[in-house]
Amino acid sequence: MTTRYVGAPVLRVEDPAFLRGRAAFIDDIAPPRCLHAAFLRSPHAHARIVRIDTAAAAALPGVHAVLTGEDFCDELPFTTTIATRPECKTGTRRLLPLDKARHVGDPIAVVVADSRYVAEDALDLIVVEWQLLPVVTDPEAALLAGAPLIHEELGSNDFAHITFTAGDPDGVFARAPRTFSKRFHFGRTHAAPLEGRGVVADWDATTGKATVWTSTQMPHLVRGMLAGQFGMPETSLRVICPAVGGGFGLKVQLFVEEAIVPLLSRRLGRPVKWIEDRSEALGASGHSKEVVMDIDLATDDEGRFLALRGRYVGDGGAYLAHPWTSLIDPLCAASFLPSFYDVQDLAYEVRTPFTNKCPSVAYRGVGWTPGQAAREILIDEAARALDIDPVELRLRNAVPDGIPYRSATGASYDGGSFQGAIRRALELVDYDGLRERQATLRAEGRYLGIGVSPFVEQGGWAARIAAVNGFPGFAYLDSASVSMEPDGTVTVAGGFQSNGQGHETTMAQVVADALQVPFESVRVLQGDTDTVPYATGSYGSRTAVVAGGALLRASGDVRAKLLRLGAHLLEASPDDVELVDGLIRVAGTPSRSVTIKQAAAAAYWGPRPDDLDPALSATRSYDPPETFSNACVVAVVEVDARTGQVAIERLLVVEDCGTIVNPLIVDGQVSGAIAQAVGAVLLEGLPYDEHGQFRAATLADFLFPKTTDLPSVEVDHLETPSPVTEGGFKGMGEGGLIGGPSALVNAIADALVPLGAGASVVRTPLRPCDILELIDAARAAV
Amino acid sequence: MSNERLVTVTVNGERRSALAEPRTLLVDFIRHGLGLTGTHVGCEQGGCGACTVVLDGELALACCTLAVQADGATLQTVEGLAPAPDRLHPLQSAFQAEHGLQCGYCTPGMLIAADDLLRRTPDPTEQEIRSHLSGNVCRCTGYTGIVAAVQTAARNLRAQATETRGVTAS
Ligand code: FES
Ligand code: FES
Repeated sequence: MTTRYVGAPVLRVEDPAFLRGRAAFIDDIAPPRCLHAAFLRSPHAHARIVRIDTAAAAALPGVHAVLTGEDFCDELPFTTTIATRPECKTGTRRLLPLDKARHVGDPIAVVVADSRYVAEDALDLIVVEWQLLPVVTDPEAALLAGAPLIHEELGSNDFAHITFTAGDPDGVFARAPRTFSKRFHFGRTHAAPLEGRGVVADWDATTGKATVWTSTQMPHLVRGMLAGQFGMPETSLRVICPAVGGGFGLKVQLFVEEAIVPLLSRRLGRPVKWIEDRSEALGASGHSKEVVMDIDLATDDEGRFLALRGRYVGDGGAYLAHPWTSLIDPLCAASFLPSFYDVQDLAYEVRTPFTNKCPSVAYRGVGWTPGQAAREILIDEAARALDIDPVELRLRNAVPDGIPYRSATGASYDGGSFQGAIRRALELVDYDGLRERQATLRAEGRYLGIGVSPFVEQGGWAARIAAVNGFPGFAYLDSASVSMEPDGTVTVAGGFQSNGQGHETTMAQVVADALQVPFESVRVLQGDTDTVPYATGSYGSRTAVVAGGALLRASGDVRAKLLRLGAHLLEASPDDVELVDGLIRVAGTPSRSVTIKQAAAAAYWGPRPDDLDPALSATRSYDPPETFSNACVVAVVEVDARTGQVAIERLLVVEDCGTIVNPLIVDGQVSGAIAQAVGAVLLEGLPYDEHGQFRAATLADFLFPKTTDLPSVEVDHLETPSPVTEGGFKGMGEGGLIGGPSALVNAIADALVPLGAGASVVRTPLRPCDILELIDAARAAV
Repeated sequence: MSNERLVTVTVNGERRSALAEPRTLLVDFIRHGLGLTGTHVGCEQGGCGACTVVLDGELALACCTLAVQADGATLQTVEGLAPAPDRLHPLQSAFQAEHGLQCGYCTPGMLIAADDLLRRTPDPTEQEIRSHLSGNVCRCTGYTGIVAAVQTAARNLRAQATETRGVTAS
């Protein structure tokens, strides 16, 4: 078989619709007679609801309903979080709270009206009498005895307390020649897709069937969870996912609004739409990545890593996100404590308390991002103390390239280019030249910093990778289908859900090669549970691996039938024919051939072998073995010691995601994730004050990285195909936001070393004011 | 609503009228009143540029403008960019060629802002491109593909202009 499309920079087929403004996003779904919902959200971090008066709001012309927690009392509680491990508590919540608000932005009541304008007018007329309660916003404080309880019925704020030990870390630490420790507080971030969340629902009471349009990354999981919530068969619920204006993991949870809006439609007998506004998105959807970490490293005098210990306290916020829970940050961070460094003695401890803040949810790179930042900044500090170049120190401890390796936390790496990616990155940035330039500039009073952050990342989140990350106990069913139509064109369908990754293009590339048909003849369907086979969605760098693998298998089944059909037409043995470039031909006698189109037509209209089931369609699934991509990020920055401003000079990534489906898309994913790393380190933070008041409710407070905040991202590829997955795909998409922040943090710390502030970098974000504070403190200490 | 009034605009060369309340945002009027849903809403706070349109020849944020303010005005939205139903504008082609879009949500505003730049500055430097687009947020691409797309489009548009001049001259 010849490969023509996989690996080629095929232009995206989805682009013209977006470029012309013709793509339909959730707010473009407008069923006739649609009503509009708006939520009243708590202005307080923690407050008992004494009384809610909705009379004036309900009396406003154009208002159809004003509902509070009382009105949903007969509904099942929302999301009974299934403890995937015995260490976890089981938590539930109501659709709307009856008792109290647990964070600023907690939905308290909902209005349905003729227009969003009127619905928001009505919100202003709802009167709530509150009784303020003590607030806890610091995750470590939330774990202390006597802390205000967010969920009284659980008895404490401690959702999960997980410990793990491999080998004898304490013994090794006691004997080790050198030990290093670092406390690092990774700040809150927000996935903040440019399109927020949104739901449109149309519940037909006469048939008992409902259609829910939602901006999600997992239509089938939403269907299953909502069907359970509503007590209806999955076949009565249709979930349609229109174009998704970015997800980045935020849209891999089921949100309470996705359950409430369909119930509003059922109650009112009309379609209802809710579109999140930016303030709701910032304060009431989900925050991510805030983890307080203490990392210890033991080495010998030559810098060989001997043991690692990590303590991770995540900030779970007020509610458990469904289905991943707040463990998605600290537990994923802990699971990758050793990265690709050869350390077999280690221990970690994970906690993730509830606080009076927005719930913690998945965001690209989940806890791998903060975990990488804490470990890698400690390694840079150890390198300085040992007087070894930080990159050399990493190379000394990296697992060799291309061999399988089992990490102390139980991950089975399928062979990467851990060292190769570092070496390639050094070469591309001219590392030695950079260090020289740094020295020259320092002599002039200019502060250049270089941060090198190599990493290994999981690809293809499914049963085995989930277990490696500490989420055992579930299998995953991700299926996809391939059907050849009578004219030889191909329909691909699957429950993957593109939210910018271009799956209509990449999945078509995979199938076009597997069936040796023109790319243009393959169309890809997704986003409708009524028409595509079941899958759990697109998240966790999984679609190339999981859906790509399922499609390779399904294509293989269809190909086998085509070969039999072709052989029958050619009056040859199926063993003697091959499929090449749209032709089925007798091997060795290329002049004897039929086209795939002829073979397809023969399946439908004959002639065909009597004993062949002619259906040219196959649905297959794939729950892949563990696979891991790797990469190395280099950041070069200059810190202005007078203003605290960080100017980014270069951002370079050498990545290896195994077999590349589409380099254009891989580059785009890397660049986008790196920009989000810039946001996480230099701009975000999502502060809460001591009363739990949220201080970043507008885009004047939450700063997106803009065109002027970063240079063009340079991307280079190594390709070490996975020996264990279908097609050799390893999966990618998150890495820039796993390795990017630590590269930037280390670059800034490196720049601050001559100012005496290198080791005082202990948290993100590092905005100009934060950096000036570090410099001033270092000066004051002299 | 009793206080609705008729607002008339010339949008993408076509005269269109629809009802709007005095408080109706221009972006809601464009999207829901005129049905031109290519213009998007990312914040309604003037902070993202997703709602960027051309209003009487100048870039405007349609979320920070009232529909009634645009009464009698000329508007251009993304739907008016392509020269024909089956042909893309050079900027649109360049965005596809350089992978200047992923989810596509920022794309209409980005295209409108980039088109405005290239009309004024046919041969912009990277810095000019970056500063002109600094009001348009893209959460997906990291801007690498967008900047490359604007550079490519500028090149292609200049080549096209030279060609046209050549044809006219001969
Ligand atoms: S929607 Fe107008 S600037 Fe964001
Ligand atoms: S392509 Fe998604 S916001 Fe720009």
